[in-house]
Amino acid sequence: MTANHPLFTRRDLLARLGVSAAALPFVTNLPGMARALNPVAANARKRRMVVIFTPNGVVPKDFWPDTEGPLEKLKACLEPLTPFKDQLLTLHGVCDKVRGDGDAHMRGMGCLLTGVELFPGNIQGGSDTPAGWAKGHSIDQEIRNHLQKDQATRTRFGSLEFGVMVPERADTWTRMVYTGGNKPVAPVDNPYQMFKKLYGQAKDRAAVASVLDGVAGDLKTLTGKLGTEDRRLLQEHADMVREMEREIREQAKDEGRKAGHPVPQLEPGVRADNDQMPKLSRMQMDLLVAGMVADFARVFSFQYTNSVGMARMRWLGVTEGHHELSHEPDSNTAAMDKLVKINNWFAGEIAYLLKRLRETPEPGGQGSLLDNTLLVWTNELGKGSSHTLDDIPFVLMGGGLDFKMGRALKYKKVPHNRLLMALAHGFGDEVKSFGNPNFCKDGPLTGLRG
Amino acid sequence: MPPLRAAWLFILGVMIWVTPGLKAQETAGAGDALFAKQCASCHGKQGEGTKRHGKPLGGERSLAQLTKLIQETMPEGQPGSLSPEEAQAVAAHVFDRFYSPTAQERNAPARVSVVRLTVPQFRNAVADIIAGFRGHPGWSSERGLKGDYFKSRNYRKEDLVVERVDPVVDFDWGTEPPVQGIDAKQFAVRHRGSIRPPVTGEYQFIVRTEHATRLFVNDTKNPVIDAWVKSGADSEYSGTVFLVGGRIYPIRLEMSKAKQGVDDSNKKEQKAKPAAPAMLHLEWIPPKGFRQVVPELCLATNGSPEQLVLSTPFPPDDRSLGWERGSTISKAWYQAVVQATVEASAWVRERADELAGTKPDAADRKAKLRQFGKHFAERAWRRPLEAAEEKFLLDTVFASQSEPDAGIQRLVLATLQSPAFLYQCVGNNEGPRAVAERLAWTLWDSIPDMELSKAAAENRLSTPEQVRKQAERMVADPRGQAKLMGFFRHWLRLDQATELSKNAKRFPGFDPALADSLRQSLELQVREVVLGPKPDFRRLLTGDQVLVDERMAAFYGADLPTPPGFHPAILPPEGRAGILTHPFMMANLAYNEETSPIHRGVFIAKSLLGVAMRPPEAVAPLAADLHPSLSTRERVILQTQPVACSTCHSIVNPLGFALEGFDAVGKPRTTDRDKPVLTAGEYLARDGRSVRFSGPGELGAFLAGSPEAHDAFIQHLFHHLAQQPERAFGRGMPDDLRAHFQSNQFDIRKLAAEIATRTANPPRQVAAQPNPETRNPR
Repeated sequence: MTANHPLFTRRDLLARLGVSAAALPFVTNLPGMARALNPVAANARKRRMVVIFTPNGVVPKDFWPDTEGPLEKLKACLEPLTPFKDQLLTLHGVCDKVRGDGDAHMRGMGCLLTGVELFPGNIQGGSDTPAGWAKGHSIDQEIRNHLQKDQATRTRFGSLEFGVMVPERADTWTRMVYTGGNKPVAPVDNPYQMFKKLYGQAKDRAAVASVLDGVAGDLKTLTGKLGTEDRRLLQEHADMVREMEREIREQAKDEGRKAGHPVPQLEPGVRADNDQMPKLSRMQMDLLVAGMVADFARVFSFQYTNSVGMARMRWLGVTEGHHELSHEPDSNTAAMDKLVKINNWFAGEIAYLLKRLRETPEPGGQGSLLDNTLLVWTNELGKGSSHTLDDIPFVLMGGGLDFKMGRALKYKKVPHNRLLMALAHGFGDEVKSFGNPNFCKDGPLTGLRG
Repeated sequence: MPPLRAAWLFILGVMIWVTPGLKAQETAGAGDALFAKQCASCHGKQGEGTKRHGKPLGGERSLAQLTKLIQETMPEGQPGSLSPEEAQAVAAHVFDRFYSPTAQERNAPARVSVVRLTVPQFRNAVADIIAGFRGHPGWSSERGLKGDYFKSRNYRKEDLVVERVDPVVDFDWGTEPPVQGIDAKQFAVRHRGSIRPPVTGEYQFIVRTEHATRLFVNDTKNPVIDAWVKSGADSEYSGTVFLVGGRIYPIRLEMSKAKQGVDDSNKKEQKAKPAAPAMLHLEWIPPKGFRQVVPELCLATNGSPEQLVLSTPFPPDDRSLGWERGSTISKAWYQAVVQATVEASAWVRERADELAGTKPDAADRKAKLRQFGKHFAERAWRRPLEAAEEKFLLDTVFASQSEPDAGIQRLVLATLQSPAFLYQCVGNNEGPRAVAERLAWTLWDSIPDMELSKAAAENRLSTPEQVRKQAERMVADPRGQAKLMGFFRHWLRLDQATELSKNAKRFPGFDPALADSLRQSLELQVREVVLGPKPDFRRLLTGDQVLVDERMAAFYGADLPTPPGFHPAILPPEGRAGILTHPFMMANLAYNEETSPIHRGVFIAKSLLGVAMRPPEAVAPLAADLHPSLSTRERVILQTQPVACSTCHSIVNPLGFALEGFDAVGKPRTTDRDKPVLTAGEYLARDGRSVRFSGPGELGAFLAGSPEAHDAFIQHLFHHLAQQPERAFGRGMPDDLRAHFQSNQFDIRKLAAEIATRTANPPRQVAAQPNPETRNPR
């Protein structure tokens, strides 16, 4: 959801928190803190997953490695990921076989992480029948729920859904995360809003603490002007103010001791408009890394624009919208060059994230954040001009699930449901099927661990 | 346990004694004489103590405990010399006159206390600070919502076919078009206007339609219900929103029978297909309420600006004296205040540009926000800022943050947590601004609006006439109406949480839907009198008409109203007593199956005639099923025969008996357990006159004309509005107000304005013991 300005609305925020403001006690111990005191849990290795979405398919010949096996020189679309070649696993031949209502962009998005059909509905694409939301929950939410069930892996949010320039409209093209059938989750594409979600309570407490002294002073002045009977009321009030000051101080100490990580500083006033996309992308990534360090969540998604995304990457010298370019035939080499540039830019952003993850040590654990995180970069289409749901671009990165990286794998048109299952199994969530069971008969995708 | 016995056990809670001494019903003469003779020499005539025995009489013992204590220990030197009857009489006298907490509260010198804002005042005041920037919503005389019908899938102006007023949104169009000139296969409908919820709490809104829909309540950007993506076979959507009762919010309901997204509809193909059915229903479940179509009464066709609603839950205010007042501070209250101010500050921050009339990239943005901050604080504190305050709020709090948005957020926090906001009239207790502030708390439970503040600033609130003029304007305002209606809801026990239900076998058809109709009917009927052209108090207690809808007509036997909705009807029997005999009152003041003359009598005695009462000690009741041959009247007489009961029930019972012609659901009856119903009753009036009446009509006529009833009504209304003891405003207040009421045709609205006028300049409070630390050196 993209606001016209960097501010955001209360209801958005609350809806995403899944609570009403009323339900949030002002001074409280945050959930998930208990784990820090649990030595067994603290010693267990954390595993995380980040799903990254970029739209409109890829230019296959400039994306996929030609041969199976150890990764050689990366092609133009993936070139910025070269420093992380040993951390990459490309999966060619994984196909979104879910059919039914909705056009390819809608199914490509709505079925990508859910592996299940869309409900019939009123959203009409360029062809095919109209459709509504997906019929089931998405794999990231499946894994989130699995982790949240266990005190040892439970985190404050469980999952965090980031976005970059996601249009301000809720429809099948703009949502890929679902908590259940007909229950899409809106990604938070406003970094200030995400910041508030992550750090709002602490900031509110600090703001309250800053005014309490003045309040106490006013009460004292006023009390002196009143008769004995009336004075009692204000004195009781003043006692409460002092007590609140003390409680906030203690809570801040407590949190500082447990979390021990710095709150990221965001550049103020960055507006949600097309040309700010590179800046917004980095701000969101920095928040994501900070969220990992603070262990706010173990599952993340990161959605650039939307299915049929219209970004105009003028900063690359590309003035046409991404989606319209993606419809051009292969023979239009100028368009193909631009599409490669666009994909190359996305890869560069992901390289930035990988770099940040690699240089950040795992708090209280071994290695870097990257060693304990699996990133899944994907797309709603295999190729823009054909709208195919075959060969969905799946690029896995990082050591989170102990897959054997640094390779190119080629499968023979396997349903992507099997990959989704493999992700769940990687987290110890041994689902028998995920999404439409007809596509799950052969079990989780094999070959990932080498 | 059989239900009847359960009912009789329940009656324990309502057997009553009359507190002697306050009214004409003096019942403890013997105790009075004994006390004067045997006790006063040590304890003082008023139990205030003497030199010999300095401690005033007062404590927490119950009457029974006190009786035992006196019996066993008094008088000094001769304990046990009093007979049990004498001990009881003396104990009752001591208890009622000065011992009990109630008596102590009563005997304390009345004064206007410093009070904090009550919870409704806090919520209203914060909302009205914002409304001061955006405009206060109106409430048009047209009930219902504006319905716009479009022949296209969206709301294109040129496709608007019909614009009309729909009293409620409750349509089953089937495969027909909703209005002429529209294709049933593709259309869009939009309803808009304002909604005024009756009470504060969570409202669950429900929209039923097979098609795309969106509902916006208050928040005009983020829908409460968003089913614009039609997905699957669901045709019912719901969403919850917290609303403060009596306030006015914008509402918009959109419905589109069409595909969204790419419009590739093939005209020929479409023509061939039959239209799918369409319905559109807007329903809600109010707090503790019953699911129903959002009623016409709560809808208006005018637009209104978004309100700041604080959803932070608060602990309830003190109501121990029968009216709400901000007389206590608790940790729960304070934490709620902090949480609510955080909520408010975040809300303001998000809308700071709009409220300050600036834009994110405006060059003078910071200056504009600063100016807004100053206005915000001045509205919140109901006065101009002193130089030091302005310096603190703007130069310290606002300027402490590098981002002006964050500065505004801090400023709002500091302003709303300050005692200058949280207490009534502190640092502002004299002069025209204090008058304005008191008027606003009294009549609106909120802060002064622009007009009132302007009148104060221009010194137009110095004469009673000027004050009265403002007060009369304020009573007529939606905020004034809301506070007045709040009084009647409380007075008539419409706000009681208990569910109104009856034995289904005995009263088939008395279901929650009917109970809700009764509630609405009574509220509408009161509203018609109180807010209508003739707000005469006497009209409340006289008249045969009842507002009846389809459900009530079917149940009580009246012609079905056309068009559907509430219409006046005459229900049998003849000679009713206005709202007193309204089916809601009769059903509410009754048991599951049987009537309760005691409940009814207590209501009349206490709420209508102002007889002060307190709950009785536990007395084992007679089991009703042991007396199957007795009518209710006979059972109640037998039940309350003992002397200890009869002194008080002799007042209550005959009042209640006059309404025995209505059964437990308020239907007329002439027999009870095969015995003819007797509706004769009587009341010993304050002037010593014994008033006899037979049936509700005569009872109502007596009440409508009784000075006691007028006094009681004035006192109840006074306390609801001013939230300070009436006695604190001088001994002459009750007589003055009664005279005003009588000479103004018992005009309820004028009375409210008069109460506000007369309390706007309270007697000056003198600091009893000035605090030496802060006394001004002179």
